[in-house]
Amino acid sequence: MSEPNVVAVSGIAKRFAGHVAVADLSLRVPKGAVYGLLGPNGAGKTTTIRMIMNITMPDEGTIELFGDRMGGRHHSARIGYLPEERGLYRKMRVRDMLVFLAEAKGVTRARGAAKADEWLSRLDLAEWGGRKVEELSKGMQQKVQFIGTMLHEPELLILDEPFAGLDPINQQVLKDIIVHLSRSGTTIIFSTHQMDVAEKICDHVCIIAAGTKVLDGALTEVKRVHGGTHVAVAFEDAAAGASAMAAVRDLVATADDSGVSAELTLKSGVEPQQLLELLVGSGARLRRFEHVEPSLNRIFLDKVGAAAAEPSGEVAHE
Amino acid sequence: MSKVWAVIRREFVERVRSKWFLVSTVLGPLFMLAVTILPGALMSRSGRVNQIVLMDEGSGDFSERLKTQLVSSGRFQVQLFPTEAGRAQTVRDSLTDAVRTEEIDGFLSVSPATLETGVAEYQGRNVSSLRDMALLEGALRRSVITERLMRRGVDPGMVQEAQRGIDLRTLRITKRGATGESGMTTFFLGYGVGIILYMIILIYGINVMRSVLEEKQTRIIEVLVSSLRPFQLMLGKVIGVGGVGLFQFAIWTGTGYLVVHFRAQILGALHVSAAQISQLTFPTIGAYLIAVVGAYFLLGYLLYAALFAVVGASVTADSEAQQAQQPVMMLLVFSLIVSFAALNEPAGQLAVVTSMIPFSSPIIMPVRVATSDVPTAQLALSLGISAATVLLVVWLSARVYRIGILMYGKRPNVKELWRWARQS
Repeated sequence: MSEPNVVAVSGIAKRFAGHVAVADLSLRVPKGAVYGLLGPNGAGKTTTIRMIMNITMPDEGTIELFGDRMGGRHHSARIGYLPEERGLYRKMRVRDMLVFLAEAKGVTRARGAAKADEWLSRLDLAEWGGRKVEELSKGMQQKVQFIGTMLHEPELLILDEPFAGLDPINQQVLKDIIVHLSRSGTTIIFSTHQMDVAEKICDHVCIIAAGTKVLDGALTEVKRVHGGTHVAVAFEDAAAGASAMAAVRDLVATADDSGVSAELTLKSGVEPQQLLELLVGSGARLRRFEHVEPSLNRIFLDKVGAAAAEPSGEVAHE
Repeated sequence: MSKVWAVIRREFVERVRSKWFLVSTVLGPLFMLAVTILPGALMSRSGRVNQIVLMDEGSGDFSERLKTQLVSSGRFQVQLFPTEAGRAQTVRDSLTDAVRTEEIDGFLSVSPATLETGVAEYQGRNVSSLRDMALLEGALRRSVITERLMRRGVDPGMVQEAQRGIDLRTLRITKRGATGESGMTTFFLGYGVGIILYMIILIYGINVMRSVLEEKQTRIIEVLVSSLRPFQLMLGKVIGVGGVGLFQFAIWTGTGYLVVHFRAQILGALHVSAAQISQLTFPTIGAYLIAVVGAYFLLGYLLYAALFAVVGASVTADSEAQQAQQPVMMLLVFSLIVSFAALNEPAGQLAVVTSMIPFSSPIIMPVRVATSDVPTAQLALSLGISAATVLLVVWLSARVYRIGILMYGKRPNVKELWRWARQS
């Protein structure tokens, strides 16, 4: 047996009233991975996660969790889930609600209460435990909901857009927790369209657009295979940059041109050396010339392109 | 299942802790008292003494005696106004004016013909006061009968003796023997049973609907259905909310029992005389009736809670819920209205039929049992039909609920609901 997959999705499809949300999507999440499900709005991330969670059923294809097809609800005690649409019982006290969420996962009341207290103090919410949910700020509510996904110490954590709506400080707190959980063996799947965040913490990614997979794999592998040749250049001034860019146009596939600096993706088969020669030949004064690893954002833009980035809105249930 | 138990506990504890529960537990019985006692109390309130004119077209002593009769009722102040037959119309006109300007409340005209035909006429502003008109008619009847008998030479003393009032005491006999309850107490018992069942089924049914809707609106439903089966969630919710209903019902009946049991002390503290207290009769509520009410509360609540859960699951906004709950509410309101007919004729055809129909039986059958002897076969049949319907409706509702809780947007029509129910 090769490395065990916690999640194995094979050829799933989901249609809503004539609209295809997900078409023939397959992916594998290895045990212990921090897996980024990346895509523009409306790509089908949430629909995919909902199908993995057994909330909706795929029209076609199969989903295996922990090696069987019993479904997300069957394994619910091993899975923590943060839906994209956040929601808590507004009138309930924070601690009571966390205990209830733990009980719904099959944890005993005493154990749930102990874990709730532990996490509340860890996230600086200890003094809010006795307050009603509606008295908390939105950021605090998000943290409470995040705690709710972890009380039963799941082996698999599925987070749908966990960073949306958090300030930079809390984004950092969340990132730290994800890294910590990952080190202690938890498999984590999260969706986002923030490539910089994904690049920092994911070791595996899957980019989907318009309901189909664009690419997936280990991050290093993705960068190697799909990154192409990237060169970062900087010039003395914008005028020099403009003339130089014009001179090398034939060698460049795409350019993220910022005037005095640019990140270039070379056409396949073109060596950085050829580019350097042309640039020098153009007479523009260079301040920087570096063969760089492509950013995930760059790959995302290259692969997804303008076509799939059309804002069609996240697919909701209709 | 410990997960269902967690849902039950949450629904129960959060509700019982809320201000709403405290307020409704205290105000509920007060409201009930107001509904049952207030209309009667208001009608029988002594109020103002009626100022009336007794217009007499030559009937002589008769009008004097009638006046005495009327005054002795304590509700009339009477001014006797003898009139010659020829001027009757003129006097009537001026008395009508006096009524219009509110100098007097009305006038009663009697003539010698009254004694023959028994016809008299009262005109006034207060003719809708049933109690006053009954007093007026009673006084008139007694006076006319006395007058007729005396004219035939009967001794006035004997007439008076013959006129002594009667008091029909209605006592209920059931299969278990004489109960000592009056017809009135039985009526109020049935009335109370009907209203309480209606209120408690309605209130807690709507509670289930609101609870379903809240989970949908706050989107917490997604976390829940990834942990529990929708059926477990619905089951826990219905049982938990129903538990609150039973708990509240227990508080009410417990308090009611204590109040009735210690009524002498309570009323004594309120300076009500012992003689008045002894006149109060209370229905004895047997274990049989309590068992029947309890069984139908459970069946009725389960049936309506399942329907209200479907309403909650099929809408997204509160305003939609207001509309969508109407058909379910109509079923309940209809049952309550029919229960009034069942009170009058507990063994009548309407009452028997509606006590078999599962949507009205939870209210009608207990009312029938409270007011009459219902054949055991009828009771068993009604319970059987009801239980079977509850199972079917709960099963169908759970299927619709399962789909509905994750649907947002346009409200589904009945056809779509049916499609959801059949979806695998």
